Amino acid sequence: MEGSARYKGLKQAVFNLLENPRAPIRPYFDIFMILLVLTSVWMLIYEVKHDLGLLGDVFEIVVVGIFIIEYLLRFWIYNDSHKAILERYERAEFINEPFRVWSAMGHASIEKLRYLVQPLAIIDLLAIIPSYRPLRFLRIFLLFRLFKLFRYTRSISEFVKVLSEKRIELVTLFIFMAFITFTAATAMFFFEADQSDPQISGFFDSIYWALVTISTVGYGDITPHTTEGRIVTLVLIIAGLGVISFFTSIIVSAFGEKIHEIRAHRIFSEVERKHIDTLICGFGRVGQVVAERLAADKRLFVVVDPKEENVRVAKKRGYPAVIGDGEDNDLLLSLGIDTRVRRLLCLTGDDVVNVYITLTARQCNPGIEIISRANHRENVTKLYRAGASHCVAPYEVLGLIAAEYAGQPVAFEAVYGLLTGQSHEGIEAVRIKQGGSLDGRPMGDIDFRHRKLTPFGVIRKGDCEPGGGDSRYRLQDSCLHFNPGDDFTLRADDLLVLFGHEYSVVHFRDCLERGTL
Amino acid sequence: MSRRDTLIFGCSALGHEVAMQLADRGIEVFLYSNDLDEVGALLAKGLQAGVIDYTDDEKLRDIGIGSWVKTIFCLFSEEPKNLFLTLSARALDDKLKIVGVCESASSGERLMAAGATKVIDPYEISGHRVHELIARPYLVEMLENTVFGKHIDIAEIEIPQHSPLSGSLLNDLQLGKRYNLIVIGVVDLELGNQLIFSNSGVAHRLDAGDILVVIGPMREITRLKQGVCENSLEPLPGSRDP
Repeated sequence: MEGSARYKGLKQAVFNLLENPRAPIRPYFDIFMILLVLTSVWMLIYEVKHDLGLLGDVFEIVVVGIFIIEYLLRFWIYNDSHKAILERYERAEFINEPFRVWSAMGHASIEKLRYLVQPLAIIDLLAIIPSYRPLRFLRIFLLFRLFKLFRYTRSISEFVKVLSEKRIELVTLFIFMAFITFTAATAMFFFEADQSDPQISGFFDSIYWALVTISTVGYGDITPHTTEGRIVTLVLIIAGLGVISFFTSIIVSAFGEKIHEIRAHRIFSEVERKHIDTLICGFGRVGQVVAERLAADKRLFVVVDPKEENVRVAKKRGYPAVIGDGEDNDLLLSLGIDTRVRRLLCLTGDDVVNVYITLTARQCNPGIEIISRANHRENVTKLYRAGASHCVAPYEVLGLIAAEYAGQPVAFEAVYGLLTGQSHEGIEAVRIKQGGSLDGRPMGDIDFRHRKLTPFGVIRKGDCEPGGGDSRYRLQDSCLHFNPGDDFTLRADDLLVLFGHEYSVVHFRDCLERGTL
Repeated sequence: MSRRDTLIFGCSALGHEVAMQLADRGIEVFLYSNDLDEVGALLAKGLQAGVIDYTDDEKLRDIGIGSWVKTIFCLFSEEPKNLFLTLSARALDDKLKIVGVCESASSGERLMAAGATKVIDPYEISGHRVHELIARPYLVEMLENTVFGKHIDIAEIEIPQHSPLSGSLLNDLQLGKRYNLIVIGVVDLELGNQLIFSNSGVAHRLDAGDILVVIGPMREITRLKQGVCENSLEPLPGSRDP
């Protein structure tokens, strides 16, 4: 079985359909199941007063059939029984003991049975069982189908999760309420049940009255007639106010504490849905500039910043943003640092934080591209050692520019323009296509002057070839031919680096595309 | 104390960095701050620094602003300090070059209004750098390995009096072919401080005092400098110019 690719593939497909929250088919399956559940419950309601006839019965059978199949499939994919058996077999082999098949089988089935006692599995079962004719009286349990919705909607399960975190408070409140209700009900029964014309005939009545009163609903169908009964009522009403306000405050505070998390979940699913692969940690001034440029390029990204104020700025500009520390491993994982994210930008103003994030992210994902900001020059090497692909040091760049200014104020303008991208003149690169109009042509063939462009150089893949008169410089995995001469022959995949006005470059690129050079 | 014509105010990490970069280029600087601790830290690192109350015009005049100082850098981390210093220095000397550092576009405008010659926004630059790394990684790598890696330099060359170059059109010179250089542009001080890009299509006639901005390997730049001064340009390769 382990070796069978088809078996494994099938199991994986079912897993994707039912459990894997990242599978693309999952949302469609969820919506289908929600509609199925809602329709079947609606038919249950409709059937009370009307007869649906054959169609209704057929539909019911289909629905139950789907539920049963789903239940069995979930049971199947819960774990791998054969793996458990194999493991036991191997262990027995290893320590030279006879392998007992039945004990191993028993162990595996116990593992499997664990599935049956899970709350959601029980709900699934209860949604199916009442359809069995002899158990028709359990029809009301068909409402359990509504609880099945937990499986398919994230917001409901979030709600339950928020409440379950306030378990202790809720249990305390419940015990307090039960105590008050019971005491008041007993007192009421004691004072009122022996009246001549009693509204309370049994203890259930008085429990019912106590609950209606304590919850401040107060139907008024049962009212106290004796002075003692009224005093009990007064006490109960005041206690009821306390209970209600306590309950409200628990819920409000639970959501208040969790609202960031819930919002973050929204962002996570957005990140997942839109296949966002760039993460910006730190939305200070640098982060804002980067975000602005990336947004102008129509690139998608998500912002992470611990400061609420920064996150608010990001949201106001329409970027998805999460409040949180970049150091938070779980947060990074939720954003898919180990799978989806391809690029991480650590742009906080604190080098310690940047190094930490870089290191964490590099461990999660060796293939990710990390660009990190170094605020002090001595930290650049540390960042590289932590795993950054590139470092940007604001102060170093500034120092460079300032030094340039002090020495050569005119050249400085050019450098500044190049560095900030604020001038329209700049350096751009054009790739030479295989079989394109420039493939195999010498540089002298192109009238750069007429096009108001200056060739800066050509970047060619591979090592620099020895010899030749022009200046060559090693780049990481390519070679820059600076200021190539007229007889320099262009090849496919070369990057032609041009210096000129952006319009000229765009026009040049256009001509190249159309082959009208 | 020797007379330094470049002063840095503000001794934070930024001031330190700029001082180091300037020292790399052989420009000696003196750092000033009103914060004793910062100054102490820099002195410990072997830089020359001193404490000054920059709000006092007399003291500023004592250290040479208004007389021999040509350039000052206002690199305080607080914007109000930079503004104040810019205003005071501008009042003392009309011609002083004041370079300020700003945190945002609006504070940049304020510094310019206060009289700064040039305002640098380090965050803007870094942000742009990061974006370039994402959008055009190969170009960044190229610039880093060449222009910033010191294989290739950007330099300015002034055309001296009575140079044979004066009077000729910039584009006709074809300096890029005579030398292994790229001419980015020229600044004609008579026309203002604007850099005229060599490929802007403007037929600029060179004259003495113009400044050429070129990019290329250091030795080529030196050769061109010599050629310009000694009035003997390299002949065009392949041509039969005498």
